[in-house]
Amino acid sequence: MKPTAAGFTRALCLVVVVAAVGLLPWLSGRDPALTVLRARSAEQEPTREALDAVRRDLGLDAGPLALLGQWAGGLLRGDLGTSWVSGTEVLPSVVAGLQVSLGLMGVALAVAVLLAAALVAPVLVRGRGSGGGFAAMLAAVPEFLLATVALLVCGVWLGWLPTSGWQGPQNMVLPALALGVPAGGLLGRLVADALPAVLDERWVELWRGAGVSRMLISAAALKRVLPPLVPQFGMAAVGLTGGAVAVETVFAVPGIGRTALGAAKSQDLPLLQGSVLALLLLGLATGAVAALVRRRLLGPALRDAGLALPPARPVRTHWAVPLTLFTVLAMTIGWGLLRDPYAVNTAARLAAPSLTHPLGTDALGRDVLARLGHGAASTVGTAAAVCLLSLLVGLALGFLPGIAAGAADIANALPPVIVGILVAAAAGPGTGGAAVAVALISWPPLAAHAAALVQEVRASAFLTAQRAIGATPWWILTRHVLPSVAAPVARHALLRLPGIALALASLGFLGLGAQPPAPEWGLLLDESRAYVERAPWAALAPAVALALLAALAVTGATYTRRARRLTPAAKPVGKETPVAV
Amino acid sequence: MTPLLDVRELVVRYGDFTAVDRVSFPVGAGETLALNGPSGCGKSSTALAVLQLRRPDAGEVLFEGRELTTLTERELRPIRPRMQPVFQDPYGSLSPRHRIRDAVAEPLKVQGRWNDTDGPTRVAELLDRVGLDPSYGDRHPHELSGGQCQRAGIARALASEPRLLVLDEPVSALDPSVRAGVLNLLADLQDDLGLGYLFICHDRAVVRHFADRAIEMREGRVTSG
Repeated sequence: MKPTAAGFTRALCLVVVVAAVGLLPWLSGRDPALTVLRARSAEQEPTREALDAVRRDLGLDAGPLALLGQWAGGLLRGDLGTSWVSGTEVLPSVVAGLQVSLGLMGVALAVAVLLAAALVAPVLVRGRGSGGGFAAMLAAVPEFLLATVALLVCGVWLGWLPTSGWQGPQNMVLPALALGVPAGGLLGRLVADALPAVLDERWVELWRGAGVSRMLISAAALKRVLPPLVPQFGMAAVGLTGGAVAVETVFAVPGIGRTALGAAKSQDLPLLQGSVLALLLLGLATGAVAALVRRRLLGPALRDAGLALPPARPVRTHWAVPLTLFTVLAMTIGWGLLRDPYAVNTAARLAAPSLTHPLGTDALGRDVLARLGHGAASTVGTAAAVCLLSLLVGLALGFLPGIAAGAADIANALPPVIVGILVAAAAGPGTGGAAVAVALISWPPLAAHAAALVQEVRASAFLTAQRAIGATPWWILTRHVLPSVAAPVARHALLRLPGIALALASLGFLGLGAQPPAPEWGLLLDESRAYVERAPWAALAPAVALALLAALAVTGATYTRRARRLTPAAKPVGKETPVAV
Repeated sequence: MTPLLDVRELVVRYGDFTAVDRVSFPVGAGETLALNGPSGCGKSSTALAVLQLRRPDAGEVLFEGRELTTLTERELRPIRPRMQPVFQDPYGSLSPRHRIRDAVAEPLKVQGRWNDTDGPTRVAELLDRVGLDPSYGDRHPHELSGGQCQRAGIARALASEPRLLVLDEPVSALDPSVRAGVLNLLADLQDDLGLGYLFICHDRAVVRHFADRAIEMREGRVTSG
């Protein structure tokens, strides 16, 4: 294979990510010696001599490059170092965690495939239509929300299944469902959206006319649909690694995700390095397997790029649905904003909904409605800032498609939660860190969209005409290229706002984002879990709000595909003219 | 007398592939030279290289006696308006985001010849000159027919006050019923303004009717002329 710009940036980004993991102890800028001393012997005074001894012991006095070299050297020998907190080898803990997580992900993948099959079957049977809408809804529900709700309903209220631990198959059911249902929704949606267009192709008509059985046609249609979607399946599998962190935390499953999160919170950086590296490898391995499967399925058709799918037909809900969702959310938030989210009233702890507290109160007697409203304001504010940042990055990189593609590959292989863990470990948990983490991985789809539009505009004859009249590159860029690209990409970014808010909430839920007493939605859900049997409303309010947000993300997102082409009337008639701007 | 355009030994390569191989021809003022040949023979590459929109790999392009291939982009900019292209795809050659009026006014603005009192009148004159009612200026390209769009494209080219038009299959994407109208317009403009035309075409009937001289291209080379 010839080295390409994309391949180069891909390798470079991978090296940067791995180096960032290796340099975590140095990047975090805090003195790890104190963490280690506290963890090892709580009663020892943090004197200068004691801290120096720990530093020497850990090899921290050598500086960043030596540290990186040491870590990389150990890595090659299969030595991941020693945990700062427990003093034990990291590798065995990582392997043990990985075994548990792989088991969980395997079952979750089975759940996902079964669910996807159930969602796709009606489309195949009816031969048209789509179950895509419902599937999209399932795909948008974040794992941490589903896990919490499943835990409440099946574990706590109904008492059917154990809520925590990892002893037997009964422990696996709820985590696998929480992890597998969103993934299954995503797979099901991708296939169900792509199928109707394929079933309208001429060969299907021909086969039907020739009396080929429905089973055979369905199998052929699936075989036609699946290969181009395999890379997206790979991304869904990568998403499982991120979802595993949340699900394992909720159900106290001793997997690699929970190990990573615990290590990040206790500043146990060697353990964190080991587990993040394992998660990263898992993500990259899944991506590689997906690419391999695609090559096997397609064969030579891949080289000729001749097997493109007809454009998918996502089911678009009536415009009133997203509008209603938006109005309900906005009104609740507006009402909550008028109230005080920090007023503690110990006399009214965990009060049921009433006239004074329409959504009840939490464990400190704070008004849930007020906290919901103020939480939304801060989440939406942060999400808007993240959106703007990823829009700018996406637009800038849209002009450098080679570089953007390589970087996007790596960004796609990193679920937000894992980036959040890394950023939190380096900079400490906080709203800013969470925002940076989400921004780091939310730009690739925008950059891809921008790159497609830039390519389209640059190939058009009217840009050539601009150069012919003597326009400067600056005039062409500001009057023609940017206006054609910026508006559709900005609209796309706006529609991604709810999804970005959900990613921020999931980081808040895991304690990697906003810190108490800030009223952030994910944090609200996390705080209320402890009292859920006495005050279900405190958990229900943020859960319902998050579900509404997820629904808004789905119903709004189907509107992105409008106005993809610059003009409906213009058909490419002439040859494409190479133009450099 | 020096011709308006004199192309000598022009070469255009794409990687290892030589699209235009040592092509030479002159075009005089008020003259139409047809460049004829099957698709893929290098006609359009020649057009782009003459206009310096794709810099040729070798050879000379003398325009009004001045060698263009050695000029920098900055030095070319004041010369560019005097040689204007008209493209095959009438819709693609106009920005879908801008009104016809703005597209025709843009050369005036880019070349610093726009002022708010005379500018709009000049645009209306140009539209009228190509046979479009000035009220069409308010429309967007997708609200016009292919023939009307091509007329607007010609109006934009005229706005730069060119001496040479490079017509890259200007009528081949149009409906046969409107081809004659556009060709007659081009002939009238040539008579009135003394323009030189490099007319790229693959339709021999049109060539016979329209061109003063014709050369034939095949696989990058001139085969007759």
